[in-house]
Amino acid sequence: MSNNTAVRVDHVTKTFRMYHERNQSLKSAIMRGRTSVHEDFLALRDVTFDVPQGSTFGLIGSNGSGKSTLLKCLANIYYPNQGAITHFGKIAAMLEVGSGFHAELSGRENIFLNGSILGMSKKEVTRKLDEIIDFSGVEQFIDQPVKNYSSGMYVRLGFAIAINVDPDILVVDEVLAVGDADFQAKCFAKFADFRNAGKTVILVSHSMETVKTMCDHAAWLNHGTLETVGEAAPTIDAYLRSLNGPAA
Amino acid sequence: MNYLKEVWGSRELLFNLTSREVRGKYKRTIFGQLWSLANPLALMLIYTLVFGIIFKSNPEPGNPSGLNVFALWLLCGLLPWTFFANVVNTASGSLVGNANLIQKVSFSRIVLPLSTVGSSAYNWAFEMAVLVIALSIAGGFVLPWIPLVLVAMVLLAIFAAGVGLLFSIANVYFRDTQYLLSIVLQLWIYLSPIIYPTTLVVSKSKELGGLLGTPITLAGLYDLNPIVHFVAIFRALMYDNRWPDPSEWLICLAWALVTLLLGAVVFRRNERKLAEAL
Repeated sequence: MSNNTAVRVDHVTKTFRMYHERNQSLKSAIMRGRTSVHEDFLALRDVTFDVPQGSTFGLIGSNGSGKSTLLKCLANIYYPNQGAITHFGKIAAMLEVGSGFHAELSGRENIFLNGSILGMSKKEVTRKLDEIIDFSGVEQFIDQPVKNYSSGMYVRLGFAIAINVDPDILVVDEVLAVGDADFQAKCFAKFADFRNAGKTVILVSHSMETVKTMCDHAAWLNHGTLETVGEAAPTIDAYLRSLNGPAA
Repeated sequence: MNYLKEVWGSRELLFNLTSREVRGKYKRTIFGQLWSLANPLALMLIYTLVFGIIFKSNPEPGNPSGLNVFALWLLCGLLPWTFFANVVNTASGSLVGNANLIQKVSFSRIVLPLSTVGSSAYNWAFEMAVLVIALSIAGGFVLPWIPLVLVAMVLLAIFAAGVGLLFSIANVYFRDTQYLLSIVLQLWIYLSPIIYPTTLVVSKSKELGGLLGTPITLAGLYDLNPIVHFVAIFRALMYDNRWPDPSEWLICLAWALVTLLLGAVVFRRNERKLAEAL
């Protein structure tokens, strides 16, 4: 079973505390003998599915359906209250590009810094340095401090580093919408390479077009519960139907 | 044990974050690394003027080194203290300051407070090297003691790391911590023999005897402050050029290990909740 499953999401429940009053000060904590008054908000309710290996898997749903929470659980940033997520292979997440860049350091220095935050060794970064710089398209400015970069250059460099982590499973938030059309085409080509290499991509997107063209499997989340999971086309159709005519 | 392995696996990241701090800090300044000397030098001038000249807090000359320079005597305690205070200050803000990173990328969180120890230690080592040169010029015979000074520096760094870990977590839950901390650190320096010699406290303690009829003495309470023992070691090695009391080593070792262990345990317990709590 494990040789064709990349990620197993097993009865995952995630609650958040909604604070009516949040006391992040010692005074109120001591005076009232408590730090907060809260109630639990169920962001994910008993979600179970398997992501097949080598698939491009889309997570779809309306705003507030729990997609991003699930993504953060997959990326080991949040931890589920109940249930477990098992990864079969090295996982890397791209929830934001360029996290941890230091504005005063050069692009080259930031590649090494960011690479190691994302879990790459110095050797790996050195090996991939040319590829990263080439992919980002900022060769000319690579020894300039990144604070002088345009926002496009900044994200492109961040994306180029993240995509070169070379994981078995890549988790991507809607960062695809960065850069010009040229760069986007490059990104899509890179994702295609990924899939051809038998790697798994998990993607969150609001653009059904993107999901339709890229994904072969999908899961639809609705208010924290899993509605449908399976082949991409029927799942997307079911989701779109629910949007257009809830009565039907 | 697994945790140690995880932290060890992140050593490269730790190194990179440290060098990010070190290299980023003095970018776009004319004097660069020299700025790290400016603060201790300014403090040295102020304290020497006020306590060395006006109040005449005359510490005993170094024995057997024979040194009798207030400014040098002061720096042997002041540099370790400013390192400690720097680490605790920057470590306590390290998680809150990197909230964005914590919420977007999964990595071993402990490297954030630990990297502040690294970057402060880098500056400290630079300051201590200058101090060793100054002591040698003044006639001290410090060079043979350098290996032991390094051991003491490592012990203090471990102690500072433990305290820093505790405060970094506390600051996530109570943002008051950072303000409280600056007051605590101000009090702490006067509760430590940085600008006056320990002998003053000891003689006062003898005068007072047991406090409120108990066998507890002022000196006994004073000894509870770990910094007292660290400073004793640094002064013995660098200013007096003699072996510190072995009991001082043991006390410092115990403080360092217990604090680091406590800090690491508290940190590990809270590490997974950080992304939500921030």
